[in-house]
Amino acid sequence: MNQQTPLLQLQELTLHFRTSRGAMRAVDGVDFSLGHGEAVVVLGESGCGKSSLARAILRLLPRNVQTYRGQVYLDGRELMSIEDEEFRKAIRWARISMVPQAAMNSLNPVMKVGDQVAEPMIVHGGVAKEAALANARKMFQHVGVPTDFLDRYAFELSGGMRQRVAIAMALVTAPDLIILDEPTSALDVLTQANIMNVLKRIKKELGVSYILITHDIATSSELADRVAVMYAGQIVEVGDARSFFAAPLHPYSQKLMASVPRLRGDQEPDFITGHPPSLLDLPKGCRFADRCPLRMAKCAEEPPTFNKHGRLVKCWLHG
Amino acid sequence: MTAIAQNDLEQVESKPKKRTASAFQRVFKYSAARLASLLFSVIVAIFLTIIIANMGGYVDELRMGEIRETVVQAARANVAYRALPPDQFQALVETQIQEQAHVEGLDRPFLLRALNYMKNALTLNLGNAVRMTSDTGSKQVRLIILERLPPTLLLWGVSGFLLFFVEIGVALSLSRQYGSWLDKLFVTMAPLSTTPGWFFGIFLILIFASFLRVLPFGGMVDAPVPDNTLDYSLSLAKHLILPTLALTLSQVFLQIYNWRTFFLIYSSEDYVEIAKAKGLSDKAIERNYVLRPTLPSIITNFALTLIALWLGGPITETIFNWPGLGRAFYEAVQFYDTPVILGQTVIYAYLLAFTVFLLDYLYALVDPRVKIGGGSQP
Repeated sequence: MNQQTPLLQLQELTLHFRTSRGAMRAVDGVDFSLGHGEAVVVLGESGCGKSSLARAILRLLPRNVQTYRGQVYLDGRELMSIEDEEFRKAIRWARISMVPQAAMNSLNPVMKVGDQVAEPMIVHGGVAKEAALANARKMFQHVGVPTDFLDRYAFELSGGMRQRVAIAMALVTAPDLIILDEPTSALDVLTQANIMNVLKRIKKELGVSYILITHDIATSSELADRVAVMYAGQIVEVGDARSFFAAPLHPYSQKLMASVPRLRGDQEPDFITGHPPSLLDLPKGCRFADRCPLRMAKCAEEPPTFNKHGRLVKCWLHG
Repeated sequence: MTAIAQNDLEQVESKPKKRTASAFQRVFKYSAARLASLLFSVIVAIFLTIIIANMGGYVDELRMGEIRETVVQAARANVAYRALPPDQFQALVETQIQEQAHVEGLDRPFLLRALNYMKNALTLNLGNAVRMTSDTGSKQVRLIILERLPPTLLLWGVSGFLLFFVEIGVALSLSRQYGSWLDKLFVTMAPLSTTPGWFFGIFLILIFASFLRVLPFGGMVDAPVPDNTLDYSLSLAKHLILPTLALTLSQVFLQIYNWRTFFLIYSSEDYVEIAKAKGLSDKAIERNYVLRPTLPSIITNFALTLIALWLGGPITETIFNWPGLGRAFYEAVQFYDTPVILGQTVIYAYLLAFTVFLLDYLYALVDPRVKIGGGSQP
């Protein structure tokens, strides 16, 4: 594998939705790249466009798309210009798979879970059903689901088991990249920890790349190689996990980190005043300016992305 | 297996394996209870029909009036009675009326007669019609119904099947192109279905039979009836076009609108989205992720379409002069011919009950979440 070209590279990726109250700018010019075998955590509040970013990468568009443009490179190959049918056959699940947010409903209620896990192999690998099922069995072992569950239906499984099945399904075609859209947010804390362990182990064993979309800073910090912070449809900071968690650069990231309760020390969790701006009516200039404690006159202008020792930050403070 | 997996295993209830015996018992118990409750519904429905068809006993009074009239007319016309004094004549007439009433059972209270009607109806002992006859001249309700059945099955079968498959197919494709002009067109046309089939029928007859003169006004075959099978079928097909078109036009838009909304809701399920992300083809998604989970609803609809065939449509069949059950029903109501009305109703009630009974088992076959008599699943 060529280490020079990143596995995934987004340039100016934009996804706007048409609503009755105007355009909703869910993903608004996102630049971002991801190396082979790397895990990037996309952090952000609810409604900042994280899930839309996942959809934009996989071209899973709802009906009310207004604008969908930008460039997506996978191993140097431009994806946006590929025909839908080719994209379905060559990219979806063959190269990029995903684990959805609500694993409760992500499994077909009337198909055996084993068949659903095997299905992508039959479609993409041209594998016979028996071989695909054998592979599904292997994946079940990988994620810690008893193999006799292959013949069960989704409603017969617990929430944690369904999420593991969803992960097994994402792994079965050995894709390069798995997009995890809040994979643990609907689960209890113990199951969350179990699932995160499974994800860590799989990354080590199989060398896949992750994009982990979450608002849960604490759990994600275990898995992250790099962190991208999303705010109001834009990526405001990208950096390696070690330096990000030690000292975030963007004022929003700093506030976000300060809002996490600490086990040691008597530091009270801080909160961010105000609300994030509506994606329907975004302010000019820096989108965080209204809530920013370090606001300057210059913030009325849109900040460019500055490169600070390999870390990217979209804030005038670092200009 | 890893430690994590074992840790999580306890959260999953172990699958019940003690199936066979208890499952059989469960299904048997459920079936018995279900049959009993359905039979009760059928009895209530038939009793109500008897009350309504007899207008709460008023039809008996009408019949008495008719008997009186016939007897008096006959007596007046009889030369032998001319010489009788008025009070003796009156007494004679009264006796004859009572005799005739006794023969028809009209001297017994209506409620008792209703119960008797019901016993006969439930045992499918349909008896004789009051006025209607079959084409072969028989007054047996069974023969009248059997004679009218094939035309109704043909007309409503053809239009029912056509409608069902057209509406499912079109609705599926519309649900995929939500918001397109075609979709909007069908949504706009949906209110057209408030117009009944016979209304379209009148216009179709006007246009194609009266004005363009390309299709027959009504009836089932040409007169004289063609003597070879091919000509007969062609003639039948020609006569089928207009009524089928009328019935289809009157329902197709609303049904398409219904199904399209139904499929739209089920296509926005998360598992459909994932199926799309998995790179399945549209056909596979439609088949396994939209149609299969909604199969119980589709089967129900189809089964009800099938048994609705047995009723036909009184007015549409009358407009098109179609010799079916619907028209027979229309005539029976006009003539207060209770046995015929009752005969058709009781067959329909039994069919409906049987279908509902069967559907429960079909659900259990096509949907793993449904268990016969198993209560609700978590």
